[in-house]
Amino acid sequence: MVSTNNEKEVLLSVKHLEVTFYNKKRRFRAVKNANFDIYKGETFALVGESGSGKTTIGRSIIRLNHTSDGDILYKGKKINGKLSKEDEKEVVRNIQMIFQDPAASLNERATIDYCVSEGLYNFHLYESEEDRLQKVDQALESVGLLPEHKSRYPHEFSGGQRQRIGIARAMVMEPELIIADEPISALDVSIRAQVLNLMNKFKEERGLTYLFIAHDLSVVRYFSDRIAVIHKGRIVELAPTEELFAFPLHPYTLSLLQAVPMPDPRIEKSKELVIYDESKRDLSGEKPILQEIRPGHFVFANDREMKEYREKLQEMIEFKKEHPNA
Amino acid sequence: MTQDSRFTFVKVDESASEHIAAPQYSYWKSVFRRFFSSKVAIFMLVLIIVIILMAIIHPMISGYDNLNMENINDPTSRFLRPSLEHLFGTDSVGRDQFNAVWSGTRTSLFASFAATAVTTIIGVIVGMFWGFSKRLDVIMIEIYNVIANIPYTLVCMLIMYTFGAGLVQLIFAMSCTTWISTAYFIRVQVMIIRDRDYNLASRCLGTPMSKMITHNILPYLISVIMTSISRDVPSFISSEVFLSYLGVGLGQSYASLGRLVQDAVKYIQSAPYLLIFPLVVAASISVSLYIVGQTLADASDPRTHMI
Repeated sequence: MVSTNNEKEVLLSVKHLEVTFYNKKRRFRAVKNANFDIYKGETFALVGESGSGKTTIGRSIIRLNHTSDGDILYKGKKINGKLSKEDEKEVVRNIQMIFQDPAASLNERATIDYCVSEGLYNFHLYESEEDRLQKVDQALESVGLLPEHKSRYPHEFSGGQRQRIGIARAMVMEPELIIADEPISALDVSIRAQVLNLMNKFKEERGLTYLFIAHDLSVVRYFSDRIAVIHKGRIVELAPTEELFAFPLHPYTLSLLQAVPMPDPRIEKSKELVIYDESKRDLSGEKPILQEIRPGHFVFANDREMKEYREKLQEMIEFKKEHPNA
Repeated sequence: MTQDSRFTFVKVDESASEHIAAPQYSYWKSVFRRFFSSKVAIFMLVLIIVIILMAIIHPMISGYDNLNMENINDPTSRFLRPSLEHLFGTDSVGRDQFNAVWSGTRTSLFASFAATAVTTIIGVIVGMFWGFSKRLDVIMIEIYNVIANIPYTLVCMLIMYTFGAGLVQLIFAMSCTTWISTAYFIRVQVMIIRDRDYNLASRCLGTPMSKMITHNILPYLISVIMTSISRDVPSFISSEVFLSYLGVGLGQSYASLGRLVQDAVKYIQSAPYLLIFPLVVAASISVSLYIVGQTLADASDPRTHMI
């Protein structure tokens, strides 16, 4: 899975992104100096606990949140801050979002026909009424729903069906980048795979790029190519999926990985949970920054910590060599 | 045990599992089904329809004119008790009270419906933009604070004194400040649903604000607007009664429920029937409109449609 990223085309690039929320005089920095690139055709995952700022990053890219500093570049063009009408339309057309809660993200008073064709209406992406209906039918069929569902209302559908309607609504716009904000966390476990497979199907068919926002590492491992771990608005580690799971360096990443339940109850019971506590860490030395420790593997550290991580990495690599099956 | 002839293997049909067995859902059909399931609401609806029809048709037949006092010099036709000839009796100048009540109902209903229409239309439009725009909110909330703190009766009296008595002036006086309360009410509702996920989704799809209002916000506010209307109509009727009672309502040429009450209150001991009939009609309108409106408001909330 580890690929040479240098040859790939950068679709979206986030540079020194800062998002600050104001409540009267009080300031809250939700995202602090976030930097990452998303390559065309890959699935990039943002992982972190609740309130870590992962959704905020997703919403800034799609222009729902204002950025206070930094740039978001889509195909080299700045898309945050003030934009002209045409540029804004371009962004809206090419970047679409899948929401977390399928019950809340559909207009309850509109038929499925309107929900799915809302974007088509706004950009007039159809030639005639028949063309529009055909596009809606296709979109519904591609997510496994029946064309006869068009006249129904969202409350008549199950959670999984509603999420698929949400996907159809985004897909009908034929976007290039999809921001999936925890698309499966509100779903029943039995239908999570269905939705994930559907998303994978679209990725293969249309060469889509995903920004996948999640907190569940087991899902992320299955679904994504590269992972950024975010803690309190800061990206602490960024690496290709297998690399991150094989050589987690930052203590927060470690504690996240530890939290994934093991299928073996004996191991699970005897497992000792490491809880990440920033106050107990040795934070001496200069300010840490995101540094590359191995090709494609970044970690948030200062020089002293980098040295520790390098030693740790070396140990892990040796251990892997001795026990290839461990 | 191994092979039971009563059971056979079938293949899983993917499309069948997506099929919805429930009959087609129609919003307005469900609203009416819900509304007509309440017997009280049906009774009140019939009552208000009868009152409205009487108010429209009866003055046409009777040709009642409030200025026509042909029996003023005939003492035998004054203060007649209710009888078959004069169903509600006659008043101090010998006019038939039955005719007067329906003519008055017509005026009062017209004034209150007109004032409600003005209040609701202006209130809903302003409230929509007020709820959406944070910049407008800063200004509007100050205007609201000023207007809401001026006593309503005082505003009405001042306008009536300035512009003189008359139906148009009365409608203007009653609706010129009340729209801001409706607008405020709508603003709060808009703010509640403005940032819900489905509205964010619409923004991601590039839906312009005007379309958001008509497709995403207004349909959710139908029951709220119904509630507001069902409160406004009765309150305008009582406002009209109250203002006419104070003597700042309509001119001499109109009979209105308020005027009838004002005239009759002098004879409350000698001829109480003159007071009772207009009051009964006014109360019936208020109660029936309120109950019909509330039931309709409940019925237009789709959460009640499932049960």
